[in-house]
Amino acid sequence: MPIPALIIPLMDETALRILWDDDQVSTYPFSYLRGWCPCASCQGHGGERHFIQVKNPQLESIGPVGNYALNLRWGDGHDTGIYSFEYLRTLSEQLDELNENGAKG
Amino acid sequence: MLNEHDIRTQLQQIPYPGSRHDIVTLGLVGSIALQGNNVVVHFRPSSATPDMLQRLTNTITTALSALSGIGNVSVHTGRPTGPAARPGPVAAPSKTPLPGVGKVIAVASGKGGVGKSTVAVNLAVAINALGYRVGLLDADVYGPSVPLMMGTEAVPRAAHDKKVFPVEKYGISLISMGFFLDDQSPVIWRGPVVMGIIRQFLRDVLWGELDYLLVDLPPGTGDVALTLAQEIPLNGGVIVSTPQDVALLDVNRGISMFRQVHVPILGVIENMSYYLCPHCGEREEIFGHGGTAKTGLEILGEIPLVEEVRTGGDAGKPIVLQHPDHPVSQAFRTLATRVIQASSLSLQ
Repeated sequence: MPIPALIIPLMDETALRILWDDDQVSTYPFSYLRGWCPCASCQGHGGERHFIQVKNPQLESIGPVGNYALNLRWGDGHDTGIYSFEYLRTLSEQLDELNENGAKG
Repeated sequence: MLNEHDIRTQLQQIPYPGSRHDIVTLGLVGSIALQGNNVVVHFRPSSATPDMLQRLTNTITTALSALSGIGNVSVHTGRPTGPAARPGPVAAPSKTPLPGVGKVIAVASGKGGVGKSTVAVNLAVAINALGYRVGLLDADVYGPSVPLMMGTEAVPRAAHDKKVFPVEKYGISLISMGFFLDDQSPVIWRGPVVMGIIRQFLRDVLWGELDYLLVDLPPGTGDVALTLAQEIPLNGGVIVSTPQDVALLDVNRGISMFRQVHVPILGVIENMSYYLCPHCGEREEIFGHGGTAKTGLEILGEIPLVEEVRTGGDAGKPIVLQHPDHPVSQAFRTLATRVIQASSLSLQ
Protein backbone atom coordinates (compact mmCIF):
# COMPACT_ATOMS: atom_id res chain seq x y z
CA MET A 1 0.00 0.00 0.00
CA PRO A 2 1.48 3.40 -0.96
CA ILE A 3 2.09 5.91 1.82
CA PRO A 4 2.59 9.68 1.54
CA ALA A 5 6.17 10.77 0.92
CA LEU A 6 5.33 14.49 1.08
CA ILE A 7 2.24 16.38 2.17
CA ILE A 8 1.79 20.01 1.15
CA PRO A 9 -1.27 22.09 2.00
CA LEU A 10 -1.73 24.60 -0.81
CA MET A 11 -3.45 27.37 1.08
CA ASP A 12 -3.80 29.70 -1.94
CA GLU A 13 -5.44 27.01 -4.03
CA THR A 14 -7.36 25.64 -1.00
CA ALA A 15 -6.21 22.14 -1.79
CA LEU A 16 -4.09 19.45 -0.22
CA ARG A 17 -1.36 17.86 -2.29
CA ILE A 18 0.11 14.46 -1.50
CA LEU A 19 3.14 12.98 -3.21
CA TRP A 20 2.91 9.21 -2.65
CA ASP A 21 5.89 6.94 -2.36
CA ASP A 22 4.93 5.26 -5.65
CA ASP A 23 5.42 8.74 -7.19
CA GLN A 24 1.77 9.41 -7.84
CA VAL A 25 0.60 12.94 -7.03
CA SER A 26 -2.90 13.63 -5.71
CA THR A 27 -4.40 17.09 -5.29
CA TYR A 28 -7.56 17.29 -3.22
CA PRO A 29 -9.66 20.46 -3.05
CA PHE A 30 -10.46 21.17 0.62
CA SER A 31 -14.21 21.15 -0.07
CA TYR A 32 -13.86 17.68 -1.58
CA LEU A 33 -11.89 16.30 1.36
CA ARG A 34 -14.19 17.88 3.92
CA GLY A 35 -17.23 16.66 2.01
CA TRP A 36 -16.08 13.07 2.02
CA CYS A 37 -15.01 13.12 5.67
CA PRO A 38 -15.07 9.46 6.72
CA CYS A 39 -16.02 9.98 10.37
CA ALA A 40 -19.14 8.45 11.83
CA SER A 41 -20.84 11.76 12.57
CA CYS A 42 -20.55 12.72 8.89
CA GLN A 43 -21.22 9.31 7.40
CA GLY A 44 -23.57 7.74 9.93
CA HIS A 45 -23.87 4.01 10.19
CA GLY A 46 -26.19 3.27 7.31
CA GLY A 47 -23.45 2.15 4.97
CA GLU A 48 -24.39 4.76 2.40
CA ARG A 49 -21.79 7.42 1.73
CA HIS A 50 -22.76 11.05 2.13
CA PHE A 51 -21.16 14.18 0.80
CA ILE A 52 -21.20 16.92 3.43
CA GLN A 53 -21.51 20.33 1.85
CA VAL A 54 -19.38 22.84 3.74
CA LYS A 55 -18.87 26.35 2.43
CA ASN A 56 -15.19 27.27 2.04
CA PRO A 57 -13.77 24.77 4.49
CA GLN A 58 -10.35 25.76 5.81
CA LEU A 59 -7.74 23.23 6.78
CA GLU A 60 -6.33 23.96 10.24
CA SER A 61 -3.87 21.17 10.78
CA ILE A 62 -2.84 17.69 9.72
CA GLY A 63 -1.66 15.01 12.08
CA PRO A 64 -0.41 11.50 11.56
CA VAL A 65 -2.43 8.53 12.78
CA GLY A 66 -0.15 5.57 13.40
CA ASN A 67 1.14 3.99 10.22
CA TYR A 68 -2.00 4.19 8.23
CA ALA A 69 -3.89 7.46 8.18
CA LEU A 70 -4.04 11.24 8.50
CA ASN A 71 -6.23 13.18 10.87
CA LEU A 72 -7.47 16.48 9.43
CA ARG A 73 -8.66 19.36 11.56
CA TRP A 74 -10.93 21.91 9.88
CA GLY A 75 -11.57 25.57 10.58
CA ASP A 76 -15.00 24.83 12.03
CA GLY A 77 -13.34 22.65 14.68
CA HIS A 78 -14.36 19.38 13.04
CA ASP A 79 -11.51 16.96 13.66
CA THR A 80 -12.92 13.45 13.92
CA GLY A 81 -12.07 12.37 10.37
CA ILE A 82 -9.35 9.74 10.17
CA TYR A 83 -8.45 9.47 6.48
CA SER A 84 -6.72 6.16 5.91
CA PHE A 85 -4.18 6.07 3.08
CA GLU A 86 -6.38 3.54 1.29
CA TYR A 87 -9.31 5.93 1.54
CA LEU A 88 -7.26 8.86 0.27
CA ARG A 89 -6.17 6.81 -2.73
CA THR A 90 -9.79 5.92 -3.44
CA LEU A 91 -10.75 9.60 -3.25
CA SER A 92 -7.88 10.38 -5.59
CA GLU A 93 -9.12 7.89 -8.18
CA GLN A 94 -12.61 9.27 -7.81
CA LEU A 95 -11.27 12.78 -8.47
CA ASP A 96 -9.41 11.61 -11.56
CA GLU A 97 -12.62 10.11 -12.92
CA LEU A 98 -14.52 13.33 -12.22
CA ASN A 99 -11.86 15.38 -13.96
CA GLU A 100 -11.84 13.07 -16.98
CA ASN A 101 -15.62 13.18 -17.34
CA GLY A 102 -15.53 16.93 -16.90
CA ALA A 103 -12.98 17.24 -19.68
CA LYS A 104 -15.14 15.17 -22.02
CA GLY A 105 -17.94 17.57 -21.69
CA MET B 1 18.50 41.23 -15.41
CA LEU B 2 17.16 38.20 -13.60
CA ASN B 3 13.48 37.78 -13.03
CA GLU B 4 11.34 35.45 -10.98
CA HIS B 5 10.43 33.40 -14.01
CA ASP B 6 14.08 32.54 -14.67
CA ILE B 7 14.47 31.42 -11.09
CA ARG B 8 11.36 29.24 -11.21
CA THR B 9 12.45 27.69 -14.50
CA GLN B 10 15.78 26.84 -12.96
CA LEU B 11 14.13 25.35 -9.87
CA GLN B 12 11.87 23.25 -12.07
CA GLN B 13 14.94 21.22 -12.95
CA ILE B 14 15.16 19.99 -9.37
CA PRO B 15 13.22 16.80 -8.64
CA TYR B 16 12.05 16.07 -5.11
CA PRO B 17 14.42 13.37 -3.81
CA GLY B 18 13.05 9.93 -4.59
CA SER B 19 10.56 11.32 -7.11
CA ARG B 20 10.48 12.36 -10.75
CA HIS B 21 8.27 15.36 -9.86
CA ASP B 22 10.03 18.69 -9.48
CA ILE B 23 9.79 20.89 -6.42
CA VAL B 24 8.05 23.77 -8.22
CA THR B 25 5.28 21.69 -9.80
CA LEU B 26 4.74 19.87 -6.51
CA GLY B 27 4.16 23.22 -4.85
CA LEU B 28 6.98 22.95 -2.38
CA VAL B 29 8.45 26.27 -3.56
CA GLY B 30 6.38 29.16 -2.28
CA SER B 31 7.28 32.77 -2.86
CA ILE B 32 10.47 33.95 -4.55
CA ALA B 33 11.75 37.41 -3.73
CA LEU B 34 14.33 39.30 -5.78
CA GLN B 35 16.20 42.22 -4.33
CA GLY B 36 18.58 43.41 -6.98
CA ASN B 37 20.55 40.32 -7.80
CA ASN B 38 19.92 38.67 -4.47
CA VAL B 39 17.27 36.02 -4.34
CA VAL B 40 15.25 34.63 -1.45
CA VAL B 41 13.35 31.38 -1.96
CA HIS B 42 10.65 30.35 0.53
CA PHE B 43 9.50 26.78 1.02
CA ARG B 44 5.83 26.18 1.65
CA PRO B 45 5.06 24.49 4.96
CA SER B 46 5.02 20.77 4.32
CA SER B 47 5.71 17.43 5.90
CA ALA B 48 9.30 17.45 4.61
CA THR B 49 11.78 16.82 7.42
CA PRO B 50 14.38 19.45 8.38
CA ASP B 51 17.08 17.15 6.96
CA MET B 52 15.27 16.94 3.66
CA LEU B 53 14.82 20.71 3.52
CA GLN B 54 18.50 21.23 4.26
CA ARG B 55 19.40 18.85 1.45
CA LEU B 56 17.09 20.71 -0.93
CA THR B 57 18.50 24.06 0.23
CA ASN B 58 21.96 22.94 -0.82
CA THR B 59 20.70 21.73 -4.19
CA ILE B 60 18.82 24.98 -4.78
CA THR B 61 21.78 27.15 -3.83
CA THR B 62 24.04 25.25 -6.22
CA ALA B 63 21.49 25.33 -9.04
CA LEU B 64 20.78 29.05 -8.72
CA SER B 65 24.41 30.04 -8.33
CA ALA B 66 24.92 28.69 -11.83
CA LEU B 67 22.69 31.46 -13.22
CA SER B 68 24.68 34.36 -14.56
CA GLY B 69 24.39 37.64 -12.75
CA ILE B 70 23.02 36.18 -9.56
CA GLY B 71 23.99 37.56 -6.17
CA ASN B 72 23.32 35.95 -2.83
CA VAL B 73 20.95 33.00 -2.67
CA SER B 74 19.11 32.29 0.54
CA VAL B 75 16.47 29.70 1.16
CA HIS B 76 13.94 30.04 3.95
CA THR B 77 12.72 26.78 5.33
CA GLY B 78 10.83 28.38 8.19
CA ARG B 79 7.16 28.99 8.01
CA PRO B 80 6.26 32.38 6.55
CA THR B 81 4.02 34.56 8.68
CA GLY B 82 0.59 35.81 7.73
CA PRO B 83 -2.56 34.00 6.70
CA ALA B 84 -0.69 31.81 4.20
CA ALA B 85 1.16 30.28 7.13
CA ARG B 86 -1.74 28.06 8.09
CA PRO B 87 -2.25 25.22 8.72
CA GLY B 88 -0.06 24.74 11.73
CA PRO B 89 1.83 21.53 12.17
CA VAL B 90 1.89 19.41 9.05
CA ALA B 91 3.18 16.20 10.42
CA ALA B 92 4.05 13.35 8.15
CA PRO B 93 3.93 9.81 9.45
CA SER B 94 7.26 9.63 11.18
CA LYS B 95 9.39 6.63 11.97
CA THR B 96 10.65 8.05 15.26
CA PRO B 97 7.55 8.80 17.28
CA LEU B 98 9.02 8.74 20.76
CA PRO B 99 12.24 10.66 21.33
CA GLY B 100 15.16 8.33 21.97
CA VAL B 101 13.13 5.19 21.41
CA GLY B 102 14.20 2.91 18.58
CA LYS B 103 11.72 0.26 17.53
CA VAL B 104 8.34 -0.24 19.10
CA ILE B 105 7.01 -3.79 18.96
CA ALA B 106 3.58 -4.83 20.19
CA VAL B 107 3.06 -8.23 21.77
CA ALA B 108 -0.53 -9.21 21.11
CA SER B 109 -2.81 -12.19 21.30
CA GLY B 110 -6.28 -12.79 19.99
CA LYS B 111 -7.43 -14.38 23.23
CA GLY B 112 -6.49 -14.33 26.87
CA GLY B 113 -4.56 -16.89 28.83
CA VAL B 114 -2.04 -17.80 26.19
CA GLY B 115 0.86 -16.52 28.28
CA LYS B 116 1.33 -13.26 26.47
CA SER B 117 2.77 -11.37 29.44
CA THR B 118 5.06 -14.28 30.28
CA VAL B 119 6.37 -14.19 26.74
CA ALA B 120 6.68 -10.39 26.77
CA VAL B 121 8.65 -10.36 30.02
CA ASN B 122 11.03 -13.14 28.99
CA LEU B 123 11.44 -11.68 25.53
CA ALA B 124 12.35 -8.30 27.02
CA VAL B 125 14.96 -9.88 29.28
CA ALA B 126 16.33 -12.03 26.45
CA ILE B 127 16.67 -9.06 24.06
CA ASN B 128 18.40 -7.13 26.84
CA ALA B 129 20.79 -10.05 27.34
CA LEU B 130 21.81 -9.67 23.69
CA GLY B 131 23.10 -6.21 24.55
CA TYR B 132 20.15 -3.97 23.62
CA ARG B 133 18.44 -1.37 25.79
CA VAL B 134 14.89 -2.52 26.31
CA GLY B 135 11.72 -1.00 27.71
CA LEU B 136 8.52 -2.84 28.52
CA LEU B 137 5.20 -1.03 28.53
CA ASP B 138 2.48 -3.07 30.19
CA ALA B 139 -0.57 -1.91 28.27
CA ASP B 140 -2.84 -4.44 29.93
CA VAL B 141 -4.43 -1.77 32.09
CA TYR B 142 -7.21 -4.07 33.29
CA GLY B 143 -4.99 -6.88 34.49
CA PRO B 144 -1.42 -5.63 34.74
CA SER B 145 0.84 -8.59 35.49
CA VAL B 146 4.25 -7.23 34.54
CA PRO B 147 5.04 -5.90 38.08
CA LEU B 148 4.49 -9.36 39.59
CA MET B 149 6.39 -11.17 36.86
CA MET B 150 9.31 -8.75 37.09
CA GLY B 151 9.27 -8.81 40.87
CA THR B 152 8.89 -5.12 41.57
CA GLU B 153 6.32 -2.98 43.28
CA ALA B 154 8.30 0.21 43.01
CA VAL B 155 6.47 3.47 42.41
CA PRO B 156 7.68 5.38 39.37
CA ARG B 157 9.59 8.50 40.39
CA ALA B 158 8.08 11.81 39.41
CA ALA B 159 10.05 14.05 37.08
CA HIS B 160 9.47 17.61 35.91
CA ASP B 161 6.39 18.62 33.89
CA LYS B 162 4.17 15.89 35.30
CA LYS B 163 6.33 13.23 33.71
CA VAL B 164 7.59 10.06 35.36
CA PHE B 165 10.65 7.89 35.15
CA PRO B 166 10.06 4.23 34.34
CA VAL B 167 10.87 1.64 37.01
CA GLU B 168 14.15 -0.17 36.38
CA LYS B 169 14.39 -3.89 37.07
CA TYR B 170 16.84 -6.45 35.68
CA GLY B 171 18.08 -3.73 33.32
CA ILE B 172 14.63 -3.24 31.79
CA SER B 173 12.70 0.04 31.91
CA LEU B 174 9.16 -0.75 32.99
CA ILE B 175 5.86 1.02 33.19
CA SER B 176 2.61 -0.60 34.20
CA MET B 177 -0.77 0.40 35.54
CA GLY B 178 0.06 -2.01 38.34
CA PHE B 179 2.55 0.54 39.70
CA PHE B 180 -0.28 3.01 40.25
CA LEU B 181 -2.92 0.70 41.74
CA ASP B 182 -3.18 -1.26 44.92
CA ASP B 183 -3.60 -5.00 44.65
CA GLN B 184 -7.27 -5.28 45.45
CA SER B 185 -9.08 -2.59 43.56
CA PRO B 186 -10.68 -3.77 40.35
CA VAL B 187 -9.99 -1.69 37.29
CA ILE B 188 -13.29 -0.47 35.92
CA TRP B 189 -12.74 2.04 33.18
CA ARG B 190 -14.44 2.98 30.01
CA GLY B 191 -12.63 3.14 26.70
CA PRO B 192 -11.76 6.87 26.69
CA VAL B 193 -10.05 6.62 30.09
CA VAL B 194 -8.02 3.66 28.92
CA MET B 195 -7.04 5.51 25.77
CA GLY B 196 -5.88 8.44 27.90
CA ILE B 197 -3.71 6.16 29.99
CA ILE B 198 -2.05 4.60 26.97
CA ARG B 199 -1.31 8.07 25.61
CA GLN B 200 0.25 9.04 28.92
CA PHE B 201 2.33 5.88 29.03
CA LEU B 202 3.72 6.79 25.63
CA ARG B 203 4.18 10.54 26.03
CA ASP B 204 4.65 11.20 29.74
CA VAL B 205 7.12 8.47 30.58
CA LEU B 206 10.76 9.48 30.21
CA TRP B 207 11.88 6.34 28.44
CA GLY B 208 15.36 7.65 27.77
CA GLU B 209 17.45 5.93 25.12
CA LEU B 210 16.01 2.56 24.14
CA ASP B 211 16.70 0.22 21.26
CA TYR B 212 13.43 -1.64 21.71
CA LEU B 213 10.19 -0.81 23.43
CA LEU B 214 7.96 -3.86 23.84
CA VAL B 215 4.29 -3.25 24.46
CA ASP B 216 2.38 -5.97 26.24
CA LEU B 217 -1.16 -5.54 24.92
CA PRO B 218 -4.28 -6.78 26.66
CA PRO B 219 -5.92 -9.75 24.92
CA GLY B 220 -8.17 -9.08 21.98
CA THR B 221 -8.59 -6.25 19.56
CA GLY B 222 -10.00 -3.49 21.74
CA ASP B 223 -9.37 0.14 22.64
CA VAL B 224 -5.81 -0.29 23.81
CA ALA B 225 -4.57 -1.97 20.66
CA LEU B 226 -6.31 0.59 18.47
CA THR B 227 -5.11 3.57 20.49
CA LEU B 228 -1.57 2.31 20.34
CA ALA B 229 -1.75 1.78 16.59
CA GLN B 230 -3.15 5.28 16.14
CA GLU B 231 -0.84 7.14 18.49
CA ILE B 232 2.50 5.88 17.25
CA PRO B 233 3.78 4.16 14.14
CA LEU B 234 4.43 0.67 15.46
CA ASN B 235 7.40 -1.04 13.88
CA GLY B 236 5.88 -4.45 14.22
CA GLY B 237 3.60 -6.78 16.06
CA VAL B 238 4.08 -10.33 17.26
CA ILE B 239 1.15 -12.56 18.07
CA VAL B 240 1.29 -15.07 20.89
CA SER B 241 -0.89 -18.13 20.61
CA THR B 242 -1.28 -21.67 21.81
CA PRO B 243 -1.35 -24.41 19.18
CA GLN B 244 -4.99 -25.43 19.31
CA ASP B 245 -7.47 -24.35 16.68
CA VAL B 246 -9.75 -22.38 18.98
CA ALA B 247 -6.96 -20.00 19.87
CA LEU B 248 -6.16 -19.74 16.21
CA LEU B 249 -9.58 -18.38 15.43
CA ASP B 250 -8.81 -15.36 17.58
CA VAL B 251 -5.28 -15.08 16.28
CA ASN B 252 -6.76 -14.41 12.87
CA ARG B 253 -8.69 -11.48 14.32
CA GLY B 254 -5.46 -10.12 15.73
CA ILE B 255 -3.83 -10.52 12.35
CA SER B 256 -6.56 -8.63 10.52
CA MET B 257 -6.43 -5.84 13.07
CA PHE B 258 -2.71 -5.32 12.53
CA ARG B 259 -3.21 -5.46 8.76
CA GLN B 260 -5.94 -2.84 8.88
CA VAL B 261 -3.75 -0.36 10.70
CA HIS B 262 -0.69 -1.22 8.57
CA VAL B 263 1.41 -2.67 11.35
CA PRO B 264 3.83 -5.24 9.94
CA ILE B 265 3.26 -8.63 11.56
CA LEU B 266 6.64 -10.07 12.44
CA GLY B 267 5.28 -13.52 13.15
CA VAL B 268 3.63 -15.84 15.62
CA ILE B 269 5.04 -17.15 18.87
CA GLU B 270 3.64 -20.52 19.82
CA ASN B 271 3.47 -20.69 23.59
CA MET B 272 2.74 -23.88 25.56
CA SER B 273 3.78 -25.49 22.34
CA TYR B 274 4.31 -28.88 24.01
CA TYR B 275 4.71 -30.24 27.51
CA LEU B 276 8.23 -31.10 28.40
CA CYS B 277 7.96 -33.89 30.97
CA PRO B 278 10.30 -33.11 33.86
CA HIS B 279 10.71 -36.82 34.64
CA CYS B 280 11.38 -38.48 31.34
CA GLY B 281 12.10 -35.43 29.16
CA GLU B 282 9.48 -36.59 26.67
CA ARG B 283 7.59 -34.09 24.54
CA GLU B 284 3.82 -34.24 24.91
CA GLU B 285 1.73 -32.13 22.50
CA ILE B 286 -1.27 -31.57 24.74
CA PHE B 287 -2.67 -28.70 22.70
CA GLY B 288 -2.11 -30.44 19.40
CA HIS B 289 0.43 -29.44 16.85
CA GLY B 290 0.76 -27.20 13.86
CA GLY B 291 -2.22 -24.94 14.58
CA THR B 292 -0.24 -21.74 14.36
CA ALA B 293 1.37 -22.82 11.09
CA LYS B 294 -2.09 -22.55 9.54
CA THR B 295 -1.94 -18.78 9.87
CA GLY B 296 0.64 -18.76 7.10
CA LEU B 297 2.79 -16.45 9.21
CA GLU B 298 6.34 -17.07 10.22
CA ILE B 299 6.65 -19.02 13.45
CA LEU B 300 9.19 -17.01 15.42
CA GLY B 301 9.49 -19.48 18.24
CA GLU B 302 7.96 -22.44 20.05
CA ILE B 303 8.01 -22.16 23.82
CA PRO B 304 7.36 -25.44 25.68
CA LEU B 305 5.11 -25.71 28.72
CA VAL B 306 7.29 -26.27 31.77
CA GLU B 307 6.74 -25.55 35.41
CA GLU B 308 9.78 -23.30 35.78
CA VAL B 309 8.26 -20.72 33.45
CA ARG B 310 5.27 -20.41 35.75
CA THR B 311 7.28 -20.38 38.99
CA GLY B 312 9.66 -17.82 37.51
CA GLY B 313 6.69 -15.58 36.77
CA ASP B 314 5.16 -15.98 40.21
CA ALA B 315 8.50 -15.43 41.92
CA GLY B 316 9.15 -12.28 39.96
CA LYS B 317 12.24 -13.56 38.21
CA PRO B 318 11.77 -14.57 34.57
CA ILE B 319 13.08 -18.03 33.73
CA VAL B 320 15.61 -16.54 31.31
CA LEU B 321 17.32 -14.99 34.37
CA GLN B 322 16.54 -17.65 36.94
CA HIS B 323 17.56 -20.70 34.88
CA PRO B 324 19.62 -19.34 31.97
CA ASP B 325 20.66 -22.86 30.92
CA HIS B 326 17.14 -24.25 30.80
CA PRO B 327 16.00 -25.28 27.28
CA VAL B 328 13.15 -22.78 27.60
CA SER B 329 15.59 -19.95 28.26
CA GLN B 330 17.47 -21.04 25.18
CA ALA B 331 14.18 -20.98 23.25
CA PHE B 332 13.55 -17.40 24.43
CA ARG B 333 17.02 -16.27 23.37
CA THR B 334 16.49 -17.78 19.93
CA LEU B 335 13.13 -16.04 19.84
CA ALA B 336 14.78 -12.72 20.76
CA THR B 337 17.22 -13.05 17.87
CA ARG B 338 14.41 -13.88 15.45
CA VAL B 339 12.30 -10.94 16.59
CA ILE B 340 15.23 -8.56 16.17
CA GLN B 341 15.92 -9.91 12.69
CA ALA B 342 12.27 -9.71 11.68
CA SER B 343 11.94 -6.15 12.97
CA SER B 344 14.97 -4.99 11.01
CA LEU B 345 13.55 -6.48 7.85
CA SER B 346 10.23 -4.76 8.36
CA LEU B 347 11.90 -1.36 8.06
CA GLN B 348 12.76 -2.05 4.39
